[in-house]
Amino acid sequence: MMRVVIARGVSRTILLPILLLLALFSPALAQQYKAIDTRVQPLSNKICATCHGAYGQGNSVVGAPSLAGMEPWYLRSQLIKFRAAVRGVPSDYIPGYEMRAAVAELSDAEMDEVIAYIETWSPAASEAAITGDTARGAELYGNCVACHGAAGQGAEALKAPGLAGRDDWYLRRQLKLFQSGYRGRHPEDIEGAQMRAAAQLLKSEKDIDDVLAHISTLN
Amino acid sequence: MKKLVSRRELLGLIAATGASGAVLKASSALDIVPNTRVDIPQIPFANPSNRPSAVILGAGISGLTAAYELSNAGYECVVLEAAPKAGGRCLTVRSGDVIDEVGNPQVCEFDDEPHMYFNAGPARIPSTHRNLLHYCSELGVELEIFVNENKEAYYQDDAMLGGKPIKNTEFTTNARGFMSEIMAKSFNNQELDEPFDEWEAESLLSAIRSFGDLSEGDLYKGSTRSGYLKGGFLDHGVQKDMVAFRELLKSRYMNNALNANEGETGPVLFQPVGGMDNIVKGFVRKLEDKIYYNVMVSSVQLTPDGVDVAYEHDGLKYKLQADYCFNCIPTHLMTGIDNNFPQDYQEAMHYVRRGEAYKSAFQSRERFWEKDDIYGGITWLNQPIQQIWYPSHGVHKKKGVILSAYDFGGGMHFTKLTQEQRLETAIRQGEKVHPDYRQQVEKGITIAWHRMNHMLGCAARWQKNRSGMSHEEERLFHTLRQPAGGRHYTIGDQVTMHSGWQESAILSAHWAIADMVERRMGTSAMPGQRLS
Repeated sequence: MMRVVIARGVSRTILLPILLLLALFSPALAQQYKAIDTRVQPLSNKICATCHGAYGQGNSVVGAPSLAGMEPWYLRSQLIKFRAAVRGVPSDYIPGYEMRAAVAELSDAEMDEVIAYIETWSPAASEAAITGDTARGAELYGNCVACHGAAGQGAEALKAPGLAGRDDWYLRRQLKLFQSGYRGRHPEDIEGAQMRAAAQLLKSEKDIDDVLAHISTLN
Repeated sequence: MKKLVSRRELLGLIAATGASGAVLKASSALDIVPNTRVDIPQIPFANPSNRPSAVILGAGISGLTAAYELSNAGYECVVLEAAPKAGGRCLTVRSGDVIDEVGNPQVCEFDDEPHMYFNAGPARIPSTHRNLLHYCSELGVELEIFVNENKEAYYQDDAMLGGKPIKNTEFTTNARGFMSEIMAKSFNNQELDEPFDEWEAESLLSAIRSFGDLSEGDLYKGSTRSGYLKGGFLDHGVQKDMVAFRELLKSRYMNNALNANEGETGPVLFQPVGGMDNIVKGFVRKLEDKIYYNVMVSSVQLTPDGVDVAYEHDGLKYKLQADYCFNCIPTHLMTGIDNNFPQDYQEAMHYVRRGEAYKSAFQSRERFWEKDDIYGGITWLNQPIQQIWYPSHGVHKKKGVILSAYDFGGGMHFTKLTQEQRLETAIRQGEKVHPDYRQQVEKGITIAWHRMNHMLGCAARWQKNRSGMSHEEERLFHTLRQPAGGRHYTIGDQVTMHSGWQESAILSAHWAIADMVERRMGTSAMPGQRLS
């Protein structure tokens, strides 16, 4: 037997239309195809959910971090960077590039809506998959404390996001992207450039594993 | 004395002459091409007073198959679909349709006519895909012939003939001619002659001569099979000049020109009249009241006696409890949906990589290809677009829809480009074969499967190594094929050895249903042999 239970209503305010501006394209090419104006024809679903999950729990397989529990100020700063193609370019890192495309035409009002919606999610417990020497990691983490805080709580004033509670696969990937210069390379990404320099302090895979093992104890 | 030659020896002999194309040709004739049988599971009809229930996640071909068969057997079925329409990757795009690419939604502006459509996903049905053909027949989906190889279409390679396109027939006729000349010369050597008796040797030699249309003295001097330079009807035909073999050898198409249309893409192929999604519509007609669209599944939980599914629909949250779950949500998206699957099952879902296939299409102002004797079929280009497909249908109508790029393996080249770059690239490369291409094509659409909303990927990739599945991959594959908790089946072409075909999707649903019946009844539900 099948039973269907209606649990409770959810907010319906969170439609994220993606608006493509035809004006961006040269007239000749604009005639080649028609981009959809989703104000007129809304898309089928919330745009974030496909990758980040229904409640922002994230999905490592498509490289989408958990959003639940991310600070609103940090979400905003990164959405602005993705929208302005300060993050997510060039195209070699596919998840970043996908994210850039997904928010390229997000309006300020829509950004407010999505951030407010994400705030309604309770953070999912992150699962630590990386093992390392936590004692050595705590020592290495000394380099991070000034900005990210002893408890990995982050500091908005310094534009340093919280690290505690973030998935370790995601932190590892971002560290690698900072180290390779993919992230923090754009001249307008001031904080990214700082982090890019800081990431170079971790000299080996073991350094990364150890510091992530320590961060996972901060949850 | 008559000495018998084994099949392997024969292939070795042909290979010894350096004719790899002929070996491939011979192999596919002698060997087994993957084949399937119509294996509809026999499901004992459900007791109406206590109907078992099944929730089907995803209205792709596998989900629709499962829902259709289970409903017919009296099971209570609900299909939950994330998109506003059914079909998944079985997508046909027509005038006014939305292409829901994340970050690049498009609306199709083709003329609104029955023949002006584009099969953005599967586009051909091999005649050996019997289960799919069975449903076409059962659901009243009218079929027509799909032309895959067209001898009047082209090969184009910047490395060959200075980049000038060459007609398929000219390429293959010359390649075969030169190859059979080599074979015939080698064959006359005493040592090669030995394994055959006189009659066999004569028979093989005459086949080789005929294969390449050799002239006196076993020399290839060109052939009218490549078409006439002029004449041929009222006047004597004038034979075309030979193409230098060395020119053909410069192109990678030497590797596939002689076997590109064998096996699964060999004749005969079909397409539904009016679009591939007529198959989807056929299923939907039978399941209309059971499919819910715009549903976002948020949780799948195994319970001791079934599966609980939580979802959102139209602003409300629901929880649904069913005896069984058949799930064709792509594994790479299922990993982002809350679940309590066993560890090894989750591990398997995390392993599968998403496919990257990319297709694009144009509406053409005129059917310019018909003026070049091309009706249907494929032009191959050693360019990122790789292929141009001409429609098999709508012959002699004013306009048509042509496929302007199809990169099955590494579609990220195009996926990373902006829409305008994608279309401009397709035009520039198409011009290498059709000089007035830019003037002819308009209203382009692109389908980057890696970024299509609700799917984010094309055919699942299990193998990291081209040579085959590793032991570890076999283990993960078979883990995912088994039902989690005995109740939750992952289905779709993603859990077959042959992803990217609708037949595989159908067979995965049949396999899962048969396994369920077997577990319920303790007997086999399949007339044939279990796949694993």
